[in-house]
Amino acid sequence: MAAYGWLIDEKRCIECRACESACKMWNQVETGVGVRRRQVRVYTTGVFPQVRQQALTGACYHCENAWCMKVCPVKAIWRRDEDGVVLIDQEKCVGCQQCAMFCPYGAPQFNLRTRKMDKCTMCFDRLEQGLDPACVTLCPTGALRYGPWEEVQKQGAETTANFAPPRQTRPKVRFIQEGFPTGK
Amino acid sequence: MALTRRNWLKATGTGLLAAPVALQGFEDYFQPAAGGAPAGMTRIVTACGICSPSCGIQAWVQDGRVRFLEGLPGDVSGDGHLCGKGAAGAMQLYDPDRLKYPMKRTNPRKGLDEDPGWVRISWTEALDEIAFRMKQTVDNYGAEALLFVTLPSPDLWARFMNAMGVVNRIDHRDECFQTDTVIQKYTTGGKTWCNDFENSKYILLFGWDILAKAKLAYATGIVKARSNGAKVVHFSPNYTATSRFANEWFTIKPGTDLAVALAMIQVIISENLYNKEFVDNYTNFGKYETEIRAHFAQYTPEWAEQISGVKAADIRRIAREFAANGPAIAPAHKKSLCANYMNSSQLVHAISILNILAGTIDRPGGRYFPRMHSIPGVDAIYPPPPYPPKKGRRVDGRDKLPLVNEVDQGIFSTLADGMLNKYPGMIKFSFWNAYTILGFPNPPRMVEALKTVDFTVVMDFLPTDTVTLADIVLPSAMYLEGNDAVARDYIAKYPQTVARKAVSAPIFEAKSIAYVAIELGKRLCPDYFKTPDGSWINPATLLDEKVKRAGLGENFADFAAKGLVEKPQPFTPRTTFVSVAGADGKCQIYVPQFPAKGADPLPKWIPKRDQPNDIYPYYYMTFIPAIHRRNTTENNSILHEIMPTNHAIINPAMAKKHGIAEGQKVLVRSRAGQIELPAHLSETVPPDVVMVAHGFGHVSRAMSLAGGAGARDGDLIPDASIDDFVAAGNYAGASCIMDAVCSIEPL
Repeated sequence: MAAYGWLIDEKRCIECRACESACKMWNQVETGVGVRRRQVRVYTTGVFPQVRQQALTGACYHCENAWCMKVCPVKAIWRRDEDGVVLIDQEKCVGCQQCAMFCPYGAPQFNLRTRKMDKCTMCFDRLEQGLDPACVTLCPTGALRYGPWEEVQKQGAETTANFAPPRQTRPKVRFIQEGFPTGK
Repeated sequence: MALTRRNWLKATGTGLLAAPVALQGFEDYFQPAAGGAPAGMTRIVTACGICSPSCGIQAWVQDGRVRFLEGLPGDVSGDGHLCGKGAAGAMQLYDPDRLKYPMKRTNPRKGLDEDPGWVRISWTEALDEIAFRMKQTVDNYGAEALLFVTLPSPDLWARFMNAMGVVNRIDHRDECFQTDTVIQKYTTGGKTWCNDFENSKYILLFGWDILAKAKLAYATGIVKARSNGAKVVHFSPNYTATSRFANEWFTIKPGTDLAVALAMIQVIISENLYNKEFVDNYTNFGKYETEIRAHFAQYTPEWAEQISGVKAADIRRIAREFAANGPAIAPAHKKSLCANYMNSSQLVHAISILNILAGTIDRPGGRYFPRMHSIPGVDAIYPPPPYPPKKGRRVDGRDKLPLVNEVDQGIFSTLADGMLNKYPGMIKFSFWNAYTILGFPNPPRMVEALKTVDFTVVMDFLPTDTVTLADIVLPSAMYLEGNDAVARDYIAKYPQTVARKAVSAPIFEAKSIAYVAIELGKRLCPDYFKTPDGSWINPATLLDEKVKRAGLGENFADFAAKGLVEKPQPFTPRTTFVSVAGADGKCQIYVPQFPAKGADPLPKWIPKRDQPNDIYPYYYMTFIPAIHRRNTTENNSILHEIMPTNHAIINPAMAKKHGIAEGQKVLVRSRAGQIELPAHLSETVPPDVVMVAHGFGHVSRAMSLAGGAGARDGDLIPDASIDDFVAAGNYAGASCIMDAVCSIEPL
C-alpha cells in the first residue's frame, strides 16, 4: 500500500491561507456550513514583548490507527487501499458526530446543511491523476508538502507544539523543525 | 509516479541535515509541479487583479466555469504561486451580490441608511444621462466642477479625463506609496517597489509588514532571503507575521521610526561606515558633505532612544551591522509605513538615504529599477489631438504641495475637507471607479461631502456603500473578465509579461471602464476616440497593437497562447540615477531642489500628529489582514468564512485595567468618531495600543456577507486639511492613516 503523508515545515508558513482557499475551490466545499477541511491556526505564547507565534496548517492526517473509523457506528468511514486516504461515505454517514468527538485533530466536521460529516480527502481525485493535493499545489513557501509516507517518516519530528499527542492514532504527518540560518 | 516529477526526494531528503545545508534543496519547492492538467478541464493563463503585483494564474475551467486557480509556473511576481486571496478570486467573479446592470436612483434623499430605490436602465440610457450631466456641469461651472475618484488607468480612461480637462482626479495613493514616489524621484530616480531580497544579506524593516499582508511578490523574497542566510530586523510596535520571519524584532513607539532611522544615518555617517565606492561615485554626498554631517550630528542613538523606546545600543549595533554586512536593503512600501504618520515624508527620505549609504541602489541585493517590456499606451499608438489645458482649482488643495502635484497622485485624506470647507459647492458631478468610502479616513465625513454633489456615478462590481450614494450605478467587469498584457514590475530584473486572458465573459451586463471611456468619449469628445482612418478606437485592436509593438506576439491571441513572455538578460547595474535638473544623474542624499518646493533638503525629526493624552490615552493602529485586500474582498464567500469580521485587538494588561473580557463589546473613541466592536485579547499588541483590521464595517446590506459585518476602522482616523500638512512639513502628503489616538471602554 503506497500511502501518503503530510510534511509540515511550520517555520515557513506566512499565514496566507492559500491552502485553505485552494481546498475550498478544488473540492467545491460549500461555505457557511461549518466546514473548513484545512485551517491555519495561529498560537501565541509569552507575554509582550517576549512573545512568539506559531502558525500551523492542519487538516485530516489520515491516521494509521484512525479512531474515527473505529468509532463510527455505521461503518461509514473507510480507507482506500491505493493511497491510504481515509474517507467518509456520505451515503452511510448519519451525522452522529462520534468521529468528531474522538478525532484529536478536529478533522471531521459537521456540515450544517447536509447534516453529515465532512473532512479532507487529501484530494484523492488529484492524486489519482498524478497531481499534488490542492493545498500543497498552492502553498507559496513550501510550508506544506506531502509525499510517500515511508519517506515522509524519515524527514522530521513526530509532533510539534500545539499538536495533540500522536501516539494513539499515529497521524501521517511529520514536522520539520529546523529554522533558518542565523544571519549576520 | 507523481512525486518524482518534482524531484520530491531530492528536495525533502535534505530535511535531516543541518539547517544551512538543509535549505539548499528549498528552491525546488518554489517551482510548482509542471504539466499536471486535471482531467476534463481547460487551462487558461491569466493574471490576478486583487492586488497590484498581478501574479500569474493558470485557471482551470470546467464546463465554462472556473474550477480552480493556481500559480503560473515561471511567473516571477507570485513565484509560481497565489496567496489565499488570489486562489479564491473566482468567488468574486461568481458573487451572487454583483451589480448586474446599470441602475438609476429614484429616491432623492441620499444616505447610507436610505434605500436608493433603484430602477434598472439600459447602458445607452445610463451613458446618455451621464454625458448630459457632465456637459451641463462643464458648460455651467467649468471642468473644475467634475470630480473623478479613480486611478488614471487604463489608458483609454485617462485619455477621456484628459480630453475633458478634468482637474480633480483623486486617487488613494497618498494612503499608499505616494511619499516614496516623491522621494525616489529626487533621491535615487528609481521606482519605489523593486526589492532584490533574495540576494540581500541584511534586510531592515521599518514598520514594513508585507508578510502579514501576504503579498507574495515580497513575502517569498523574504523567505528566500532567510533561507540564503540573510539577517532580517523588524521595527514594529506590534508583533506580526513579519516579526516571525525576523532574526530580531524591536517593539517601537508608534510613529517614531523616523527617530531610529535618523540615528542610524548619524551612526553610519559619523563613523564613516557607508559604502565608499558607491557614495563617492554615484551620490552628491561629497558636494554637500558639510551640510549633511552637520545636520545629522544632532540625531544620536541616545536621542532616538528617548523618543522611540529602542535602546541606543541596539540602534548603534543595527546601524553598524547594516553598513558592514551588505548587500543591505531597507524597503519602504505602502500602507505599512509610507503613509501612516505626519512624519512619513521625512521617514521615507531617511530610509532612502540608508539605502544610498548602503550603496545598493540598482545593485544586487538592493532596491533596483525595473527592467520591463515597453508596452506603448494609447497615446503612442493613436496620438490624440492636443489635450485642453487643465484649468481650475484642486478641491483637495494638492496644489499647495508642489512635490505631490508633480507626480499627480492623491489625495484622499484632504478631499472631504476640500469639498465641505475649502471649496463648498464647487464639485457638481462625481464619478467613482472601484473606490469605496471605506478607503477614506473618517468615512462619515466623506459621506457628508458626497451628499453635497448634485450628481454621482459609481462604477463597481459590488453594491458598496458608495453605490448606495450614487445617482447612476454602472456594473463593472472584474479582472477575470478582461484581456490585458500585464508587465511584471515588482520583481523585474529582466522583462517578463503575463497575458491576462478573460476566463469568463462579463456576467450579466458588466462592462469595462475602457468601454465607458469610449462610449462617453463618442458623446462628449469624439475627436479623441478615433483612429487615423476615422473609425472609433476598438479596445481589442488597440491591445493587439500594443502586444505587437512590445514584441510580445503577433497579436493578443498569439501572446495569450504563449501565456508568459520574458526576455532574460544579465543584470547590468546603472551608473546614472536621478534625472531631475541639477542632480547630474547622481543619487541625492541632500536634495537641493526641495527647499524651493516647500520641503527640507535633509530629513528632520518631526513628531507624529496625534499624541496620547488624558482623553485619548492610547495609540490607535490599523492593519490589513493577510486574507483580505483593503476593502474589496470582504464579500468573497471563502475569504469571509476565514475572516468574517474585525476586533479591537488589545493587550490583556489593557483589558484587565478596563475590565474587558475576550469577545466583549467595547466602545473605541477618537477625536474623529467612535466604533463598537468585540475585543480580542492578544499578547502581540503593546499595552498602549488598540489595533483594528481595515476593510470591515460595510453598511450596504446588498453585500449579503460583508454588509453589517465588523466596524469601520477609518471612523477613528481624522481626515485632514491641506493646511495641516503644509504646516507640519508633510510635504509628500502622507495621509496619516494611522495617526490617531483613542480611548476604550467596555459596553
